[in-house]
Amino acid sequence: MTQLFAVLTFFWNHRPETLAVALLAVAGLGLISRVPVAYSAMNLVVRWWTVSLTIFAFVLVIGLLIVMLAFVNGMYALTKTSGQPGNVIILADGATDESFSNLAITDVSDIANQPGIVRVDNAPLVSRETYVIVNQPIIDGAEGRPKRRFLQVRGVDNPEISATVHGLKLMPESRWFSDAGVGPLPGAPIDAAPAVEIVLGNGIARELGLDRKPEVRAKAKDAERLVPGDTFALNNRTWLVVGVLESSGGTYDSEVWGKQSLLGPMFGKDNYSTLVIRTKDAATAEQMRDFFANKDDKGYTKAKLNAIVETKYFEGLSQTNVQFLIGAVIVAVFTAVGGIFGVMNTMFAAISQRTRDIGVLRLLGFRRSQILVSFLLESMLLAIIGGALGCAIGCFADGWTANSIVSGGPGGGGGKFVVLKMQVDAAVLSTGMLLALTMGFFGGLIPSISAMRLTALDALR
Amino acid sequence: MNLLRLVIDNLVRNPMRTILTSLATMIMVLVVTGVFSILSFLAAATTEKAENMKGIVSERWQIPSQMPWSYAASLKEGAPYQPGDLKVAPKDSMTWSFYGGSTDSNPKNRSVNTILFAFCLEPQALLTMMDDLDTLKGPPRKDLEASVAKLEQNRIGIILGRERAKSLGKAVGDRFTVYSFNYKDINLEFEVVGLFPPGRYDLSSAIRGDYLQSSLDAWSREHNGQLHPMAGKSLNLVWLRLKDQKIFSQVSDQILTNPSFTSPSVKFETASSGVGTFLQAYRDLIWGMQWLLAPAILFTLSLVISNSISINVRERRTEFAVLKVLGFRPWQILLLVLLEALLVGVTSGLVSAGGTYLLVNNVMGGLRFPIAFFGSFYIPEAAWWWGVAIGGGTAFVGSVFPAWSARTVKVAEVFAKVA
Repeated sequence: MTQLFAVLTFFWNHRPETLAVALLAVAGLGLISRVPVAYSAMNLVVRWWTVSLTIFAFVLVIGLLIVMLAFVNGMYALTKTSGQPGNVIILADGATDESFSNLAITDVSDIANQPGIVRVDNAPLVSRETYVIVNQPIIDGAEGRPKRRFLQVRGVDNPEISATVHGLKLMPESRWFSDAGVGPLPGAPIDAAPAVEIVLGNGIARELGLDRKPEVRAKAKDAERLVPGDTFALNNRTWLVVGVLESSGGTYDSEVWGKQSLLGPMFGKDNYSTLVIRTKDAATAEQMRDFFANKDDKGYTKAKLNAIVETKYFEGLSQTNVQFLIGAVIVAVFTAVGGIFGVMNTMFAAISQRTRDIGVLRLLGFRRSQILVSFLLESMLLAIIGGALGCAIGCFADGWTANSIVSGGPGGGGGKFVVLKMQVDAAVLSTGMLLALTMGFFGGLIPSISAMRLTALDALR
Repeated sequence: MNLLRLVIDNLVRNPMRTILTSLATMIMVLVVTGVFSILSFLAAATTEKAENMKGIVSERWQIPSQMPWSYAASLKEGAPYQPGDLKVAPKDSMTWSFYGGSTDSNPKNRSVNTILFAFCLEPQALLTMMDDLDTLKGPPRKDLEASVAKLEQNRIGIILGRERAKSLGKAVGDRFTVYSFNYKDINLEFEVVGLFPPGRYDLSSAIRGDYLQSSLDAWSREHNGQLHPMAGKSLNLVWLRLKDQKIFSQVSDQILTNPSFTSPSVKFETASSGVGTFLQAYRDLIWGMQWLLAPAILFTLSLVISNSISINVRERRTEFAVLKVLGFRPWQILLLVLLEALLVGVTSGLVSAGGTYLLVNNVMGGLRFPIAFFGSFYIPEAAWWWGVAIGGGTAFVGSVFPAWSARTVKVAEVFAKVA
């Protein structure tokens, strides 16, 4: 069982290569078959109606698989790209996630001044953050949009340093929030209450933008997303967007950033939840992780901390990805099995229509194996056409945005609500084509064997 | 009757094709039944009830909700603070604190086989307030009542879900220590006093709320009166059961206007609304299951059936021409083909859905698909008719065109070709 799993894992990790080998094998069958491939192809044309129905079924099954895998692929891409190899996340001891972490203010300055942290203009590259998940009621939102959502708010001390640590950049016409974290609303009277200034991740800017009613969107600067100058309501305050982050493809695309000293107390979290430190490279990050986690009692002892290399932290949030991947594979396998029975029907019908052809071929000297290969090729040809069309249609899913959650599963702590971009890549397309070829092979195999077993006399009788 | 016999004879005549079509139908119905079961459960969980409503009090802004324990006493009564305010009966309320930890003291050894999450609550609330347990009947109810009685007598008692007990390797009577990861240094000893009935709570566990609170107090005493960092955050949710929408609104007003609950402020919502908010993160996934996955499978199934029936019709054109010569009306031929498809579809759908129901519920112990706080899903009894409807519906859609084509067979043309 373990060996089988290892073999399947190997093929899964080398899907494009496996597809290339499978296609070469099909081409090889075509070459060794003395029955011309054109004969098989022409037979597909002659039975165009049933062939079209079968191909359509292939298109649906494969297209569906591509969409499901593109979703899971997007989740994996998100967890992979969120971390910087040189970054170390520091949480309070025992905290499995930022949501549960509380770092004492007194510890934070000491941690930030430890050697090994990269410094720019003599300032340590340490992002001091308070992360809260906020329940946002969406009042007067657009029809069909959620009435409530969990908004991920990250309060940071110094946005420039935090952005450098996380490798994030502002989009054009954006700026960081002010030192106070608040500012006047454009066009508001001078004595009006100031708005909370925030910077939005690229994904959440789109989600919040879509919450607006159609008439509001029609008049907006950008109908699809919130842009600098737009506002929304939360916690009885007006929140003014002063900037939008460039898409990084990571979890930060789904966050709202503001001033820590304002947002922390606003949502009942005065302390920092997270420190993210930048080291010079991945190897140093590992060393700093061991130091702050006080591995083997040879490290930092002033406070008990939980330190994790950032890339590992986000890798740990892939438990949901695994669950969804397993779900997608199970659905695809069951649907494919159903499809295989459909292909068998088509191929059995093809054989029963051409029993005399088989008799003639046998009399002409074609061997049983060549008859088998000929029908198998016909079935595979059907699969290749249907699979390719399914892949082509599935490609439209590339770039679609979707809401989801990434989490570490049981024991892994909290999760993150994310807006992801679905990704169709070579591996996903290869999976689609491999499934199509598998359906074609198994759907065609038993009918082909039955064709092979016909004697010339029986076939012509 | 003769028509039915003719239908069955025709299906038996090509057993391979009938079996393959039937198998394809069964597989597809199985998948769709699974998808529909998940969707219908989630739809039910997010549908507002008009009567006997459950409401949840939680921290207004933050997730996870962490309120001070001092809120519990008043919130359990519906937060009455003015003369004439409504007071909720104790049997209609429940407090929840979440306690999580591992049976292994080394955090590096945490795994699904060592971790445990427990609801800390009043033992009686298991019988009166917990979804699905409150409606339990017969022997399972009696077993649970016995477990609850033991939990009431044993402060360190714990009721485990069957899957959780299995993964931890614990049985009733066993004692073990849990090293907490959300209540630092509050490591609690437990004795298993019972198991949850199989089903929804297979992975859950329940302990006494006062055990956690007294442990926090003990920690404080051991640390010269210093409060545990979680002491002011140990109340996660308060559940209230209310008779109808009017009473719900009144209690909601009491809670939201009560000046005692301002730091942090609280919110009160129906259980369905709370679940719905959590499911927002999965809304695109659920949309995909509802509007892409299920329709695509149903359409594929229609195509498979249509293909099979088309092949059948084409092979039997001469037979249909003979039937016409024998006096069969075109509508009778159409009916013949439709009935063949429907018989395969309905029978296969019924067998598949019924089989899925029995297999998933009785053998597999539910369909494992963790979404929000739901770990596994059960196939509802309605699945039996879903199978019939899916099989019959797709068979009908898939066979209409081929049946129409059979109906319009021209006798002269067919015999001209035969000649």
